[in-house]
Amino acid sequence: MKIGQALKMALKSILGNKGRSALTMLGIIIGIASVMTIVSVINGANKKSMEMMAAMGTNKITVYASYNNGQDVFQDLYDFCQQLNDYVDGVTPNSQFDATVVYGTKNSSKMGGDGGMSYSMGGVTVTSDDGGGGSQNTEMPPTLYFGSDQYSVCNNFQIEKGRDLSLLDVKDYKQVCVLGARAAQTFFNYTDPVGREMQVNGLPYTVVGVYKEKDPDSQWSMDNIIVFPYTVSRTLAPDTQMSEFSVKAKSADAAVEATSRIIAFLTGLMGQNQEKGWDQVQNENQWQQSSNDYATMMSLVMGGIAAISLLVGGIGIMNIMLVTVTERTREIGIRRAIGAERSSIVTQFLIEAAMICGIGGIIGIIIGTLGSRIAGRLLMQMDIWPSLNITIGAFALSVALGILFGIYPAAKASKLQPVEALRAE
Amino acid sequence: MLIELKDIYKIYGEGLESEVRALDGISLNIDRGEFVAIVGQSGSGKSTMMNVLGCLDIPTRGDYLLDGVNVKELSDKELSHIRNKQIGFIFQQYNLVQNLNVLENVELPLIYQGIGVEKRRELAMEALERVGLENRVKHKPTEMSGGQQQRVAIARAISTKPPIVMADEPTGALDSHTGHDVLKFLQQLNKDGSTVILITHDNGIAATARRVVRLADGKKIEDHPQEVDWL
Repeated sequence: MKIGQALKMALKSILGNKGRSALTMLGIIIGIASVMTIVSVINGANKKSMEMMAAMGTNKITVYASYNNGQDVFQDLYDFCQQLNDYVDGVTPNSQFDATVVYGTKNSSKMGGDGGMSYSMGGVTVTSDDGGGGSQNTEMPPTLYFGSDQYSVCNNFQIEKGRDLSLLDVKDYKQVCVLGARAAQTFFNYTDPVGREMQVNGLPYTVVGVYKEKDPDSQWSMDNIIVFPYTVSRTLAPDTQMSEFSVKAKSADAAVEATSRIIAFLTGLMGQNQEKGWDQVQNENQWQQSSNDYATMMSLVMGGIAAISLLVGGIGIMNIMLVTVTERTREIGIRRAIGAERSSIVTQFLIEAAMICGIGGIIGIIIGTLGSRIAGRLLMQMDIWPSLNITIGAFALSVALGILFGIYPAAKASKLQPVEALRAE
Repeated sequence: MLIELKDIYKIYGEGLESEVRALDGISLNIDRGEFVAIVGQSGSGKSTMMNVLGCLDIPTRGDYLLDGVNVKELSDKELSHIRNKQIGFIFQQYNLVQNLNVLENVELPLIYQGIGVEKRRELAMEALERVGLENRVKHKPTEMSGGQQQRVAIARAISTKPPIVMADEPTGALDSHTGHDVLKFLQQLNKDGSTVILITHDNGIAATARRVVRLADGKKIEDHPQEVDWL
């Protein structure tokens, strides 16, 4: 029997029993749809977090250190990092502070009061808004940072307009600042901010530059920031003690080496029993790695759970196919009597099972795609399309399930003696 | 000789007290072009005989030579090919595949022969024309009367132009008028050269055949030619 004919016959048999075929497919549909949704969403989330990490910058070391007497630790750290210039590209404080920023009618203390929230993550402020629709237009107050002239190097920013903070700005306590792209838009809309003066806690600060946008779509914007030379903290926010710093290493290997050297240096500086202060050093690469590992593990676990539902669906297929064999014993007998070989019967039942699962798989893929998109929107405000690999994989998986769970019933069907099969009612 | 049965036994539960000898040492020769009625009461072994002759069942002992080939030595696949090409079956209960239409049912043995669509359609239509159902090809078996269904079954049996046609109580489920037509058709097939084997319990029906073989308790008790009641 030719394969095209066998496919036609299988389709006929499936369509001849629509209700049962649909119920049989249901298990596969649910299984494939959930596997697809889960894997796509986790992949999407992982990709997103990788992008965010790349935007934040790789090979970054975060240092928390503070003297007990309140003295600034940065100068010591800066001097030490100068010696590490084989490994280190830059070092900066990364401390947030509160202040009211005013330019014209714009006032940071009057922004984003509608339930929005902002929090700091890995030295970058993440701002989100749970106000639902229209959030793109809500003005969020910028996050203010004290940094060194190496702030942009350490945090992966590039200058779009004007200039970056300079060593002189830092040394001379200059009242200047650099804006992130989002903050620039909030305060200046589309006019050029460079050279303009903003009021920060009532003091005049000149905008010298604007950073390039890093993270255009996300409302978790890393671009809604204003960076000031850390030395002006004495006048701008005298209570702020700088205890968080970022060190940018030249490479992943350099980050490992620099981390251990900084730990050794700070241990020496702070003393064994922390009588002079405390410190903590994190190589962010490790954090990124472990976050990546975590995402992989999550997708394995969740995928595994979904795979169990597929297994249940597959057993459903086997069950129905066994019932079908029993129900169609007479038909099998007739086919055998008029000359069907065993292999033709096996092929017929296998193709039928594979086709039921294949059709179920396609429906599952459609639902899974919709599910991924809806889940992506609701959970992460992201546009998720399942990757081609996942789609092809899901289809192949469903057909394979059909064949796997069709083998036993098909073999059973073909083993019937024609005379016995014909006797069946 | 087309069919040679040599001392055929079909024994169920051999060696047990409840042992049943459905065929108890039967020898029989059937030549090409014969029209043989195998007659017997219920339980006489005639259906078992048909199953053995039709290669649907394997005898417990004895040799069955079909066209000189000992059936015992054939594989399941080869037996399938024999059923497909050498024998056309007509059953009491028609045995059509319910979810296929008339044309598809008639095409089924041709599909298993691997014949292409066009040739297949041509042969199936030819067979359907012979039974006068060429206008009902898209109907499902359930949409037809018993007589029509049996004609579809006959068309299916003759679509491959087999040398042997076996009919097991072909009129059993039909009224006498329709049954008459079926028997007439079998006679016609025989006149056209087919070897026809008719299994029945009814002496009146057996009277349409040129030769009668009577079975009782699995044994052949009568075997003779007869005057034919041409319909």
